[in-house]
Amino acid sequence: MNTQTTSSSKRSAARTALETAGIYAVAATLLVAGVLASPDFLTAENLLSILSGVALLGMVACGMAFITYSGNMADLSLPTTMAFSGIIAVASLSLGIVPALLLGVLAGLAIGAMNGLVVGKLNANPILWTLAVAFFMEGFMRFTWSNNQLYPEIEPGTPGAAFIGIFRLRTGPVPLIVLVMLALFAVAHLVMTRTRFGRESRLVGSSRAAARSSGIRVSRVVFFNFLAAAFAASVAGIFLTSMNKLGVFYLGQGYDFKAVTAVVIGGVMLSGGRGHIPGVFGGVLVIGLLTNIMTFLGITAFRQNIVTGLVFIAVVGFQQYQLRARGKDYA
Amino acid sequence: MEAVSKRYPGTLAVDRVDLGVNAGEVHALMGENGAGKSTLMKILSGTFNDYDGLIRIGGQTVTLHSPAEAKEHGVGMVHQELSLARPISIAENVLAGRLPANRWGLIQRKALFEEARQWLEYVGLALDPRKAVGEISPHEAQLVEIAKVLSNKPCILVLDEPTSSLSREETARLFDIIRDLKRRGLAIVYISHHLPEVFEIADRVTVLRDGRNMGTLSIAEATPQKLVQMMAGQTIDEFYAARHPEIGDTVLRAVHLTRRAYFHDVSFALRRGETLGLAGLSGSGRTELARSLCGLDPLHYGTVALHGGIIQPGDYARAVSKGLVYLTEDRKADGLFLRLPVSQNLVAALTARHSTMGLCRPAKDAAVAQRLFTTLHVVAPSPEVDAGTLSGGNQQKVLLAKWLATKPHVLILDEPTRGVDVTAKRQIHEAILGLTAQGTAVLLISSDLPELVGMSDRVLVMRQGRLIGEMQRQELSEEAVLLAANGHYAFRTPDTVTSNTGRGAVRPAASLQEQGRP
Repeated sequence: MNTQTTSSSKRSAARTALETAGIYAVAATLLVAGVLASPDFLTAENLLSILSGVALLGMVACGMAFITYSGNMADLSLPTTMAFSGIIAVASLSLGIVPALLLGVLAGLAIGAMNGLVVGKLNANPILWTLAVAFFMEGFMRFTWSNNQLYPEIEPGTPGAAFIGIFRLRTGPVPLIVLVMLALFAVAHLVMTRTRFGRESRLVGSSRAAARSSGIRVSRVVFFNFLAAAFAASVAGIFLTSMNKLGVFYLGQGYDFKAVTAVVIGGVMLSGGRGHIPGVFGGVLVIGLLTNIMTFLGITAFRQNIVTGLVFIAVVGFQQYQLRARGKDYA
Repeated sequence: MEAVSKRYPGTLAVDRVDLGVNAGEVHALMGENGAGKSTLMKILSGTFNDYDGLIRIGGQTVTLHSPAEAKEHGVGMVHQELSLARPISIAENVLAGRLPANRWGLIQRKALFEEARQWLEYVGLALDPRKAVGEISPHEAQLVEIAKVLSNKPCILVLDEPTSSLSREETARLFDIIRDLKRRGLAIVYISHHLPEVFEIADRVTVLRDGRNMGTLSIAEATPQKLVQMMAGQTIDEFYAARHPEIGDTVLRAVHLTRRAYFHDVSFALRRGETLGLAGLSGSGRTELARSLCGLDPLHYGTVALHGGIIQPGDYARAVSKGLVYLTEDRKADGLFLRLPVSQNLVAALTARHSTMGLCRPAKDAAVAQRLFTTLHVVAPSPEVDAGTLSGGNQQKVLLAKWLATKPHVLILDEPTRGVDVTAKRQIHEAILGLTAQGTAVLLISSDLPELVGMSDRVLVMRQGRLIGEMQRQELSEEAVLLAANGHYAFRTPDTVTSNTGRGAVRPAASLQEQGRP
């Protein structure tokens, strides 16, 4: 019995590894392509810059993964959550750097809590609801701060200077943002695989109705999924604000779509309940590598967007095809 | 129809059935759930593109491989589930597919509403055809559905349980329409569980059982007892072993449960180790009662007590943690996680129990999953295949195993063996018996009469949202239950019931006189 048990759990681990392998194969291919594209590609410096380049995206994708995994597809209010966290942090710098950062994250969590409550308890459509929240929050920020950008003080020694500095902090050669991203991925992975919450998220994502009739508190699970996403987005938003040295409503634009792309090419099914965090990290790497190589090749930012869009379309099409091949009966 | 068969994966749903319906005749089709009535009629209405046997309409052999073909040959079918588009006007629904248009392709609204109004008038509805279907009541919608089918001018009309949502007056009106159609020479097939209706309207009756034709009688030869016997058969003794349950104290007590529009003032008690059957026709409120009882659906009035502690209405997660669980009747909709491995389905209800401080215990999960997989003989290559790939019977075993794993005090089973083959059925029954032997109380809802009679220690009968009485094990038979569910059987008076059931029993809510129909 015991050997059977371990063999069955080994089998599911093997399946996970196999599913993840795909995205890393793509990443490896891109690495080779990068080497071919430029001799400067495979330097420690460039590789670290790729990682820092995707660090903020990685954080948001890490949070977005919870939304997709639990069957809620995407939280389109994450970009405004990022901007709002940054603005609140800048606006409360007079209280000191630590309270400012805490308040920034709290502001983001408030949006997440509201989303989680409405989608979890009232069964609102997550896409439409978060789209509406994004629209509302943008208007709210523009109105409250009269369309202005918020600049922190940058005199050395002030909390403002410290705030601007956090984006540029490093441990040795490794930027803080890369470490934070890796930490978030590690924690997210543990939460999804080792906690009751992670397990219930998968059940809710697979079938909300079946989860409910298995005695799972679906609305609570959905609530915490939105909270997790908002937390990751707030952290990313504060770094983004620090990088830009200003807080403003439009920071974070575009992160929603890129994050969903990373999540989906990382193997998390848009229909929920399938996928895992290592895959999402692979997805983020692929996007980073793709962007970096395109930059090396001198492809402009707008054309890069076209490529990212096409990759998304291809991957979603492929997932849909896979689902259909498994039998429409239970897809 | 001659020697018509239809095979579903694993079962022969209709087995070489001959059925002849004459023009100007109302031909009733009866049989228990799963007897093959609906499948047979679906063949006639072109739902399947494969079946064996011959179908002749008006002497001509026809192939009916699509609903359009069936329509062309004059087959009109009124389904049990309505096929109306709710946000669209009644008129457009009734005349869907042949809206009167002018030569520019624009709809002629006047002609549309005028024609629709005539059809509505014919079925006795004084409704504005411009109204959306979503705004009218379910029974009006049922009549609109009939108007829609009639407007296609069929020569064969199939009515599948047409009166389930109709009031008495509307039923009478429907029967007038049917008689009128009969005079006009239509061949009418009337599917119903309701014996009184069949005797009122039908000229001949055909009974199906297990996909086979058990015989056709003219209404003059038929008696309720005869029909019930033909439907029920004699399968109980071979299949269900004698059992000697040890029935203990009251575990669950339900008092005055009411959910408006579904069930009214239902009270009963359930004892340790007991299997309590819940009988009733479809639409009698059994499933709704069960779902409200455990907290999945709202409860407007009344209390449910488990071991003396009140179960909060609407809080199913709490009920599950206290050991009151419900096995859903629809495993595909809200039973299984079809896209997850069997192993994860088996432990889906244990997430709370198998975790300490929010961390889950994969080893414990795996051990339980493996044990259940083996004890219930789930036929699958491994516990790691997706639940959706299993056959119906094995899916149902997985669903049951999910709840067995929680070691419930009270297990509500809603159609636990629907669409399941005989072997799986036996295994499921063994698992249920094993559970009751350990003291679990079971509330069994089943339209499978041999199962209900064979498994239950006591049966409550529900009709039109009310509990109309109960039967003890010694008085149980398929015939008795079927007649009772039809409101046909005089129970002992409620007073005797109370004194006989003794400790823990509750007075039935309604006496016979209070029911709507005879």
